[in-house]
Amino acid sequence: MRRKPYQTVLLYAAVIFATLVIAFPFVWLLITALKPYPEIYGFPINYIPREPTWEHFQYVFQLDFGTYFKNSVIVSGGAAILTVLVALLPAYATVKFDFLAKQPILISILICQMFPQIVFVIPFFMILSKLGLIDTYLGVIVSYLPFTTPIGVWLTRNFFAEVPVDIEEAAMIDGCSRFQTFRRIALPIALPGIAAVGIYAFLFSWSELMFSRSYLSTMSLQTIPVFLSLFVGQYQTRWGPLFAGSVVASIPPIIVFGFLQKYFIRGLTSGSVKG
Amino acid sequence: MLRKLYGDMTRNAFAYRMLIPYVVFLALLVLYPIIANFVISLQADGLWTLKNYQQVFKEPVFAKVAFNTVIWTVGSVVLQLLVGFVLALLLNQDFRGRAFFRSIILVLPWATPDIVVGVAWQWMYNDMYGVLNDILFRLGIIDYYLPWLADQDLARLAVIIANTWKGFALSAMFYLAALQTVPHELYEASEVDGANVFQKFLNVTWPILRPFVVTTTMLTTIWTINYFPLIFTMTGGGPANATDTFVTYAYRTAFRFLDFNRSAAMSSFTFVLVFLISLLYLRALSRKEAER
Repeated sequence: MRRKPYQTVLLYAAVIFATLVIAFPFVWLLITALKPYPEIYGFPINYIPREPTWEHFQYVFQLDFGTYFKNSVIVSGGAAILTVLVALLPAYATVKFDFLAKQPILISILICQMFPQIVFVIPFFMILSKLGLIDTYLGVIVSYLPFTTPIGVWLTRNFFAEVPVDIEEAAMIDGCSRFQTFRRIALPIALPGIAAVGIYAFLFSWSELMFSRSYLSTMSLQTIPVFLSLFVGQYQTRWGPLFAGSVVASIPPIIVFGFLQKYFIRGLTSGSVKG
Repeated sequence: MLRKLYGDMTRNAFAYRMLIPYVVFLALLVLYPIIANFVISLQADGLWTLKNYQQVFKEPVFAKVAFNTVIWTVGSVVLQLLVGFVLALLLNQDFRGRAFFRSIILVLPWATPDIVVGVAWQWMYNDMYGVLNDILFRLGIIDYYLPWLADQDLARLAVIIANTWKGFALSAMFYLAALQTVPHELYEASEVDGANVFQKFLNVTWPILRPFVVTTTMLTTIWTINYFPLIFTMTGGGPANATDTFVTYAYRTAFRFLDFNRSAAMSSFTFVLVFLISLLYLRALSRKEAER
């Protein structure tokens, strides 16, 4: 299909317009974070900072932002690892075997998509309190699993489905046990899918607010979203550091997702294509 | 029946062993909390009762919160599907630099943490220093600065717009994946037949997209009803409960008013509601599959 010149111009105009509009809220956040206070509250608005400054970034790191960042890395990394561990085996089993429990397991994945987080917030609060895990990394990590694992199983299934049966059979003829076949043959091939699952869990945990805010009351354990949300409440007018913190908080997920979006989109959508 | 299951378990012992961690996870971290939430919602002062549910429904703001939830969900879902759809069509075209534009459009809003989205939009909506009023004023669309987050109707609109920005990428991804399965020859064939752009869309693209639209609508609806952090950050449910949904309201009942039983009743109600909506969609989906 060949386009006429005016169609190409229209297409680019539409794409560039859409990109500018969509990027704007984030770009504006960044621009504001670089403005000194008189310019943040300036009238009329400066669209380009006259005297850009790092003072808000310096200030937010004085408020122990490094600690919150570290906590977020621990919680999100932990959730990613646990999710992968729980999701791998059922994903493989339901792809490679035809057995009675297969359908119920697949339905359970679908049903888990419907659960509102709010249903879990009070029971987990009580359970974690009883176990003494309420104000700990582990408690928060575990509370994320019901939301990351089902999608994890779904994503991994699509990648295991691409592992050719012939290779696995050949491996078993050569004397590999069923589990060795899984570990040595299927797992390496499905690695991009496993990465996609880990990333999903990481991103979910990185921005999760409801559980982390309710369970983590010790400041030195709180994650970035908790810190930012408390900041919104406490210092309503201190926009500068809030924006600086927000920009820094967005960097890891944007980088991670930017690099791995290909695998992620493939895993997420291939299941619905195949039905 | 049991015998059949036993036979299946011996034949596929390996598969069943692989399920053990997942089944333990389901029982302890999914089933148990959900049942516990129902139990909590049915208790008050140590007794079994329906009092919490009665209180929730009799609450003067209940009707308002229900109305808000409907507006928030319908508005966000319709806008996300439309925006996602248009952008998917755009990004499905072949042009130089597509990968670059695609990563900005699909990655930036979706990867930005919820709370950051809330903060960024709250600032853009600021009535005095917000950039939105400035732009609209300069363009001559408004004559005076609007109090975006202080007026009830404007606040409802404001959170929906912000949510659309945050969420459209998911439906765009689904549509894009669907569009890429449309065989090129079909377009060419219909072009030979002299079809115009709209006929091509109607006869070639739409039939393939349709099941995706149902699935995407279902997932987006469920996620929007359950979505919490954006409203919580931007308005906290205000002004005068105008942006309170079932979820934000249940959260405040639990952690501001410390009434766990009533909050559990509210959230169990939300859960049943979401469950029923999903069933409707699933039926629509299976009917359409049967038609094909």
